[in-house]
Amino acid sequence: MKTLLKIAWRNLWRNRRRTILTAAAVILALSLALFMRSMQFGWYEQMIRAGVSQSGHMQVHDTGYQANQSIDRAFFYREETGEALHSLKEVKSVLPELQTFSLASYKKQTKGVLIAGIDAKRYDKQNNLSGKIIQGHYLSGSDDVLLGDKLAQFLKMKVGDTLVLLGQGYRGITSYGIYRVAGIFHLPSIEMNSGVVYMNLKTAQDFAYPYQPGLLTSLTVFLKDPGDLFTVKKEIEQKLGPAYEVITWKTMLSDMLQTIKVDNISGQIMLLILYIIAAFGIFSTVLMMTMEKRKQYAVMVSIGMERRKLVWVSIFETFIISLTGILIGLLLASPLVFYLHAHPIPITGEMAKMYLQFNIAPVLPFSVKTHVFLSQVVIVFSLSLMSALYPVIYLSRFNILNAFRH
Amino acid sequence: MSIIEAKGIYKTYQETKIPVNALNGVDLKIEEGEFTAIVGPSGSGKTTLLNILGGLDLPTEGDIFIEGTNLKQLSSRQLIDFRLHNIGFVFQAYNLIPVLTARENTEFILELQKVPKKERRKQATQLLEAVGIADKADHRPGQLSGGQQQRVAVARALASQPRFIIADEPTANLDSKSTNELLEIMAEMNRKYRSTFIFATHDQRVMDKARRIVTIDDGKIIGDETFEGR
Repeated sequence: MKTLLKIAWRNLWRNRRRTILTAAAVILALSLALFMRSMQFGWYEQMIRAGVSQSGHMQVHDTGYQANQSIDRAFFYREETGEALHSLKEVKSVLPELQTFSLASYKKQTKGVLIAGIDAKRYDKQNNLSGKIIQGHYLSGSDDVLLGDKLAQFLKMKVGDTLVLLGQGYRGITSYGIYRVAGIFHLPSIEMNSGVVYMNLKTAQDFAYPYQPGLLTSLTVFLKDPGDLFTVKKEIEQKLGPAYEVITWKTMLSDMLQTIKVDNISGQIMLLILYIIAAFGIFSTVLMMTMEKRKQYAVMVSIGMERRKLVWVSIFETFIISLTGILIGLLLASPLVFYLHAHPIPITGEMAKMYLQFNIAPVLPFSVKTHVFLSQVVIVFSLSLMSALYPVIYLSRFNILNAFRH
Repeated sequence: MSIIEAKGIYKTYQETKIPVNALNGVDLKIEEGEFTAIVGPSGSGKTTLLNILGGLDLPTEGDIFIEGTNLKQLSSRQLIDFRLHNIGFVFQAYNLIPVLTARENTEFILELQKVPKKERRKQATQLLEAVGIADKADHRPGQLSGGQQQRVAVARALASQPRFIIADEPTANLDSKSTNELLEIMAEMNRKYRSTFIFATHDQRVMDKARRIVTIDDGKIIGDETFEGR
């Protein structure tokens, strides 16, 4: 085996330029594939992160709320429900929330808004809402509300002004209240900036149904490790029983996932083209190498070398070239990918606005997840090794005398 | 018993629409220790006969026995193994493995025979000394002249201690000096170790050394002369 390796190694260096060219094809294929995939997955991860930061990894609702998001599908918080969730070691935090729709008025302006009643402290810890305040301060008093800058602009309000809310409460009651604008926020999402009013959970509960405390529309669960999603979902469902539904972010953000899926297919088609070009480059060199050494192969078989040993020589040659190409490709592409992961490319103009509409920061981060690297290494390496199939087939069948004639 | 016995050998090539009969009923026996030249004009069937005697090709009709083994009954793998242990080859274009040194080329066949490293190193050195090329043992074929390469080829052919050596036009690419030296080496090996040599050749100098000359034309043996005392 040592001699076979030696022959393979020396064969490669006998035509140095061609070997370098073949390795370069592998390097280029891997670098480009890594760059493309890392960019693509980085973007997907960013979209998902943005979505999950709002929706949580999963939400617990009253059964049926996901299909019909009405205040009438709200539920009253019970201690045992909270304990069931907090007892799971995979759960990082649980945020109670009450959401309802209402009309918001100030002087002559009125607009339909989503009222989000939140546990101000814990919500801030999770989402850093206080960091998005551009005027005034974060929620403190019981009648404090936060408005998005677009909504404040529409209602012509400023910090300290009084906002009137009027809507339908739980069990058909009419809900109304007067609140003070404590702060104005700016989030990446235009939709959030123009249509959401944040207030303390207790304030929202008093607004929607003042007759019984603890009304919620959801318990948003954040996990320590997103990989535990389905295990935790199952456990929660078992603990809480059929009165509650547990909806994962994959359902809540299904539209986004569909967009990602479509985009991923287009990315895969591009990659396929790249793979085909690279494979032809590698294959043509391997073909040349095989044709050039026909006579050498014929001599070796004539003097008594088994064909399978020749096959090994050929496999070693392809393996060495492929491995070298993969390692150099990784060495070249990885620093760039890691740099772009740490310093994402900023996006400007119309594209940036579009990103903001989807509550996504207008940057293009690169993914450094292991699967991105591993999948490309495996694909490009397999592709390179596949080009050894030709010499393997040739060496198993070639006619010695014909090879001598060439 | 003869080392080689060819009985009624026919070889037809059907590479085009018109079949080519390269051998037309050849019967030939080669005894141990012979130094035989197969001669004849181009296209007479010399190389085809040599390829069949060397187990590189099989006859369309007839049988070829090497010390009683019918080569036609061996599988492709068995044939390779048979060549490894029984037949040595010297080619017109030397055909050494270009990426191995002279010593490694000589050792290579021993390694295929699974001879231990120490032993094969010793044998290779002895053989290279015998063919007068020990000082070039670490040179690759590209660094050697044609004559030197052919000496290495002879050393490689002898390394496996074959029953006989097939040499197809071994001197065709060599100058007079190299030809004489090479023939002397092969004749010496023949005398000393009773190695059996079978040449296909046009070269008068080879014919002058041969103790038996088999003449072939149109795929048939038309002459078979023995020269005692050479």
